Amino acid sequence: MTRDIWKHLILILGVIIVLAPFYMMLSYSFKSPGEIDRGVGGFFGRQAMMVDERCVKLRDPNRDEIAAAAPQYPGKTDSEIREAIMAQAEVDCSMRPVVFNYSKAFIEAPLLRYLLNGVIVTASIFFIQVLVALPAAYALAKLKFWGREAVFGLVLFCLLIPVHAIALPLYIMLAKVGLTNTYAALVVPWTISVFGIFLMRQFFMTVPDDLIDAARMDGMTEFAIVWRVMLPTAVPALLAFAIFSIVAHWNDYFWPRIVVTGSRDLFTPPLGLREFKGDADGSFFGPMMATATIIVTPLIVAFLVAQRRFIEGITLSGMK
Amino acid sequence: MAVIDSTAIPRKPTQVNRQARTAWGLATPALALMFLILLVPVVVAAVLSFTNYSLGNSGFDWVGFKNYGRLFTRSTYEKMFIATFSYVVVVVPVSVALGLGAALLVNSLGRFGDVYKTIYFLPVMATLLAMAIVWEFMLHPTIGVINQTLEMACGTVLEVIPFVAKGCADGFPLWLGDKDYAIWVLCFIGIWQGFGFNMVLYLAGLTAVHRELYHAAEMDGAKSAWEWFRLVTWPALGPTTVFVVTISCIRAFQVFDTVEAFWPQGGGPNKSTYVMMFAIFEKGVQQNLIGIGSAITMLFLVFVMFLTLIQRWLVERKVHY
Repeated sequence: MTRDIWKHLILILGVIIVLAPFYMMLSYSFKSPGEIDRGVGGFFGRQAMMVDERCVKLRDPNRDEIAAAAPQYPGKTDSEIREAIMAQAEVDCSMRPVVFNYSKAFIEAPLLRYLLNGVIVTASIFFIQVLVALPAAYALAKLKFWGREAVFGLVLFCLLIPVHAIALPLYIMLAKVGLTNTYAALVVPWTISVFGIFLMRQFFMTVPDDLIDAARMDGMTEFAIVWRVMLPTAVPALLAFAIFSIVAHWNDYFWPRIVVTGSRDLFTPPLGLREFKGDADGSFFGPMMATATIIVTPLIVAFLVAQRRFIEGITLSGMK
Repeated sequence: MAVIDSTAIPRKPTQVNRQARTAWGLATPALALMFLILLVPVVVAAVLSFTNYSLGNSGFDWVGFKNYGRLFTRSTYEKMFIATFSYVVVVVPVSVALGLGAALLVNSLGRFGDVYKTIYFLPVMATLLAMAIVWEFMLHPTIGVINQTLEMACGTVLEVIPFVAKGCADGFPLWLGDKDYAIWVLCFIGIWQGFGFNMVLYLAGLTAVHRELYHAAEMDGAKSAWEWFRLVTWPALGPTTVFVVTISCIRAFQVFDTVEAFWPQGGGPNKSTYVMMFAIFEKGVQQNLIGIGSAITMLFLVFVMFLTLIQRWLVERKVHY
């Protein structure tokens, strides 16, 4: 029993170090700029009402607006009217720090657009990967043809090449055909997953031949067999591969950083966060941490819900 | 059964032909993409590494081995190799050891261990770039939580530690801004992010260790936990270790997100964290010096392929040290 206590102590020390940045990220995303600067306020901060200076400044009335508002304030001078409007603005622009941080995250940058881009890119990558890899894996596992060994050898060789490592020539090729700064640039290099082919081939090897022959007897073409017989049997393996692929591409920063330079319209979540950091002054720590929290949350929540599947999927590469 | 077993025993030549044609049809998209996206770029990089090509220029000159020559003579690239190898040499052993240690502890705790497993795996899932930005805040010299915590030690008995005493007198390190600390901080974050992954791989490996082996070892006189580990667990985990080390190496070689987040320009104080991926990005993409970028790419590929080939060779020998 005492031995177990030591184990727990060591592991809890690890937990503190592992969770520290997550704790700080959440905590900063709740706090006001002042509390972040001074390092006070505990986890949630005091959540005292704060005034958004920028919002107030935007509502500073000009001459015409004061003239337009004059009927509402009978018998007052212009400067009194202005003061009244500004006082109203301060009331309207004050909010809890947590609301300030999270609303700024969406208002100051098109975060929704970034998230949508992230979904579009990761989904298309996975979809095309399956579309390409599944037939090839079936051919390699279940069909006899001249050159099969050579093709499989090629797959094994290509497993040696990490796509990040050849990013520069890929970038040059895409630039030459004028595809940089498009969705295509974000997706194309990942459309071929040799690992996916390898994985699905290994899986298909375990599918009994009888199943396929029965389908052939029913007059199904090989093409139909891939999608209507093999695909359903492969669902568990595909699910694991999906997690592997989605986690990798949602979190990827290197490749989008290279091919998306100009327009924010194509930014994936990590790029958006990076840009936010680039032009943030000190008072924007809170909104930035809110953005970070929003980007990190979907995968973390999915992971907590379906832990076993996730660990299986992420460690898939262990099956190589 | 010969009728049913059509893949094993071809019936008619025409049928064999047809199956071969379909097979090639099914494999062609994958093959074409494999050539276009994986093999052609390697060739392109190999060719361009002997030129002074730049995007936007119509032509280029052959420069022979000049780009490679530069890599091995210029001090910038010397710093690049030092940074990359320091990172790999620190991160790989530490994250593998921590992964193994955590796996053994978690495994021995049974169901309670699962909570730790979940928590240690969180950094693997989290967007590294986002977490890098959080670490940067925490490491901020004045308002960062790390230095604020360290300052609390001032005036207490903890000041007997030289590091704390020095920090209290002259201020605690700038961490990311200090050339003596930058690479170690980078390594620390790499380990923080990666050891949970190794732990999970080791946990999978541990489930495959047969219980009977421990009984057998006990019969042979192994008494302490250490002897059990040395005689049974460690040898049985041999294949897992080979794999974990290889994948950790490849991941460590590819470190980029943290470097770019902390030091968007120049690769850290005094280029102490100028790792290869960042060099490829800076030279090849930002400065449009594609020749030199390609040369670094080729070296990088050689390292990674070399590592993977060693791994495959070890696995084929069925490692049982």
